[in-house]
Amino acid sequence: MNKVFLIGAAGTAYGKSNLTARDLSMLASKHAIENAGIKPQDIQASFVANAFGMAEKQGHLGPLLMSSLGIPHAPSSTIEAACCSGGSAFREAYVNVASGFYDVMLITGTEKVSHLDTLTATTYFAYGGDYLFEGCSGASFPGLYAAMARAHMHEYGTTEEELAAVAVKNHNNGMFNEKAHLQKKITVDDVLKSPVVADPLKLFDACPFSDGAAAAIIASEEFMNRNGLEKKISIKGSGRSGGSGSLHTREDMSSLESTIRASREALGQAGISVKDLDFAEVHDCFTIAEIIAMEDLGIFEKGQASKAVVEGRTAINGEIPINPSGGLKSKGHPVGATGVGQIVEVFDQLTGNSGKRQVNDARIGLTHNVGATGGSCAVHIFERE
Amino acid sequence: MSVSYWRLRDRYYRIIGSICDSCTYESFPKFNTCPKCKSHDISDKEMPNTGKIISYTLSYESMPGFEHELPMSIGLIKLDNGVNIVSQLVDSEVEDIKINATVKAVFRKINADGNSGQIYYGYKFKVINA
Repeated sequence: MNKVFLIGAAGTAYGKSNLTARDLSMLASKHAIENAGIKPQDIQASFVANAFGMAEKQGHLGPLLMSSLGIPHAPSSTIEAACCSGGSAFREAYVNVASGFYDVMLITGTEKVSHLDTLTATTYFAYGGDYLFEGCSGASFPGLYAAMARAHMHEYGTTEEELAAVAVKNHNNGMFNEKAHLQKKITVDDVLKSPVVADPLKLFDACPFSDGAAAAIIASEEFMNRNGLEKKISIKGSGRSGGSGSLHTREDMSSLESTIRASREALGQAGISVKDLDFAEVHDCFTIAEIIAMEDLGIFEKGQASKAVVEGRTAINGEIPINPSGGLKSKGHPVGATGVGQIVEVFDQLTGNSGKRQVNDARIGLTHNVGATGGSCAVHIFERE
Repeated sequence: MSVSYWRLRDRYYRIIGSICDSCTYESFPKFNTCPKCKSHDISDKEMPNTGKIISYTLSYESMPGFEHELPMSIGLIKLDNGVNIVSQLVDSEVEDIKINATVKAVFRKINADGNSGQIYYGYKFKVINA
């Protein structure tokens, strides 16, 4: 496989937007092209990540985006893997460039959901899981993660206060991210007293529904050399795994097998261990998801991650900062954009452009993106050159 | 969802899953290739109607058609043959819904397309031994 570089990445602010997913995708893409220092016509092909396009009655966004960039001939397809659409689109683009088929690709994730009422939005999320045998039994997405949380609490003694500490930490980080959806400091007490969504998960254990877009540009070494571009960040590993599409057919309710497989693939390619990571952006759609992610990635032993959060070991100034961007919890969760947005954070961190949330001397960063209750997972590892 | 539901009616009405004729692995819903031994010799199998709760939630967030039932209990249940299923828990006191409680399937109205549309029936579970 050829060496591939992350040469540009940018995102819009996350939150409630009065723009369409289409316009949001154009803004993020244009910005990423600018900071990559290339021209739109250098882009040979693109993947768009957009999970809920039908919420705006607009599928097949790629050609509209390419046309707006002045390159209507460039092929573009939507990659859909529920909340893992962004990470999956990035993975497919990486495969195309690493194999030598293309030299430059654009990956753009975008979503517009804030115009939907809660019931409709919740139903769209349920469509990404086993809708007929879980959703139709009344189990919403928070309901399924609540069942995972309860199983983890039963198995490892994890407490609601420990889960709340994840939300508090991510809100602290999001306070330093001017593009975050929820820029508000909260306390453990705020989380514990927020309305119950699906016991034991409360409103402040959950990420918000956000609008937003994020874009990344990757290129081959040959393209970089030919154009005299500075190599800032290389892609060291790309892992992608499927997992059981239903929650109930899984063996272990407090672990995601797809995270374990995707992360081992990416770490193996990179030739590093999790101890070498300087920070990670993980998929914290609910507080319990961040705990399970850290354990499945191998950063902490099973049952130990929640203790590490309480002890501050995952804060920006801790031993392994997790979600310096604020994560899905504070930065927001514009579904298709989320996985690409994690890569935008890595780009900013590794180029030293993260302002007050900058991880000290960040050299190696990991992104972890999950679809539904673990049916899809994408893990990528990046290193500053 | 009316057409999908009708097509899957045996699974909703009688909890029909699959059994592998080679290694006897069972699962719900149906599968085409055995996840364990990869055999293609698969038969339909009615799942047992009793099991134990392995996790649960009391949900205040609705799915379409369940708005009038909030808050509702959802269980992750391990049936007596080791197969897991997600189901609404009904006819049970909230304090009796806990991990390892024994539950039994009951046949119930699940949902309906408005006041004069199709009515969906299927399984729910209730606690029989807390």
